[in-house]
Amino acid sequence: MDEFKSGFFVGGEACEGRVLVVDDEPDIRKVVKMTLQKAGYEVLEAENGEKAIEVINSGENRLLLDVVICDIRMPKINGAEAVAYFRSNYPRVPLIVLTGFPDADMATSFLRQGVVDYLVKPVEGEKLRSAVARAIEQRELARL
Amino acid sequence: MESSDHTKIAILGAGRGGRALLDLLHQIPSIEIVGIADRDPAAPGLQRARELQVPVTTNMPDLISNHGVSLIMDVTGDPEMETYLHAHKPPTADILSGSASRLLWELVQHESRLEAELLQSEKLAGIGSFAAGIAHDMNNPLQLILGLAENLAEERDLTVVHEQARDIIEAAKQTSAICRDLTRYSRRASPHEDVLVSVNGKLDEALKIARYASKFHDIEMLKHYQPGVAVKGNPDELLHVLVNLITNAVHAMERVGGTLTLETRLLDGQAGVRISDTGCGIAPDKIPQIFEPFFTTKDPGKGTGLGLYNVKTIVNKMRGTIAVDSQIDKGTTFTLTFPNAEPAGQGRLS
Repeated sequence: MDEFKSGFFVGGEACEGRVLVVDDEPDIRKVVKMTLQKAGYEVLEAENGEKAIEVINSGENRLLLDVVICDIRMPKINGAEAVAYFRSNYPRVPLIVLTGFPDADMATSFLRQGVVDYLVKPVEGEKLRSAVARAIEQRELARL
Repeated sequence: MESSDHTKIAILGAGRGGRALLDLLHQIPSIEIVGIADRDPAAPGLQRARELQVPVTTNMPDLISNHGVSLIMDVTGDPEMETYLHAHKPPTADILSGSASRLLWELVQHESRLEAELLQSEKLAGIGSFAAGIAHDMNNPLQLILGLAENLAEERDLTVVHEQARDIIEAAKQTSAICRDLTRYSRRASPHEDVLVSVNGKLDEALKIARYASKFHDIEMLKHYQPGVAVKGNPDELLHVLVNLITNAVHAMERVGGTLTLETRLLDGQAGVRISDTGCGIAPDKIPQIFEPFFTTKDPGKGTGLGLYNVKTIVNKMRGTIAVDSQIDKGTTFTLTFPNAEPAGQGRLS
């Protein structure tokens, strides 16, 4: 995180934004990170809700985090609890749920809580990147 | 040891009928089987009787006259046997033979089919609750496969290509293992397939299945296995028992987490299995009901109320016992005890 110079440049390259991926599966974090890095995003990782809260509360993340992508079925603080925490403490950070279990009721309830997108694994890279781009765009619009 | 109200039964004929009767009557505490006889020393019922430590003989006249028999069950299907019995039976003994014994045999068969049906339907009803776990465990490797494959379509670096191809292969194998485990579990238990089963192996297999049915997050696992603990029974049914008890234990700790302890040991020629949780516990007034059919404390649609009933049926069939010890908010321990089948290292383990 030390090499992070500003909200827009990482290691000399243009940065599209800073994304936090919360998932207990290292493989999922790896592949989501790979997919987003290709599109120029800086990606942070957390293995559960508790770690995610730690990450967002550390350093400049509370200001510079653009999107959180969050799994639901996780140990410690699970996805639903993390979503509730993020919504009440960081209402300006857009949340995308990425889950292995499609559940219409759960999706509705998340969207009602202000989650911007509900994606079901396996999700194509293009779909994931456009969901992230859309989330950031919406946030920029809301700021105006 | 013997009490006077015991019904003392002699079984004549150790074919399929005799064997089925033996299996059934042996489970009833108020019945004492004084012996089983057949002219053919290789009859399947005689083999079973030896396993159950029921006296075996080829000397029918001795069996019916000299052991204080109160009921003679004739399943030889031999019309001459009936005539012989009526002429030679002790005056205090009743005879069940001919069409009456056939009817009884049919009822036994019917009951065992119903039991198998009940077991299967409870198992299938339970699989509904696996959906979330299965989806999670299948879609995660699929996400990895999709993401890596998308990357491979553009990747130029051969080292990365090889590495990611290997990851894809592993993920694909992982996904297929899930289907294999579940289809094995969901199949109908094969009837009368009593073999030597390694309890430790079955516990580990049951853990894999139970993970689909319940959330193991925030649960600490402790295993204390004594090597070589084996029991005789139907492996599919034993698996069902263990999945049920582990799933219940995890459900009891769902809200607050806790410790799941699995323990096996040999003691005084008996095989013991203990499954303990540190969960919500069972109210003392509920404990006498938990093995009754259709008793459940779960929300409507969440449990069939047949889980522990089936567990007990199977355990009894394996000539085992099940005991429960529970304290509210402290946890629950189920202890299973079976006759230890054979010392470690002998026979084939399933």
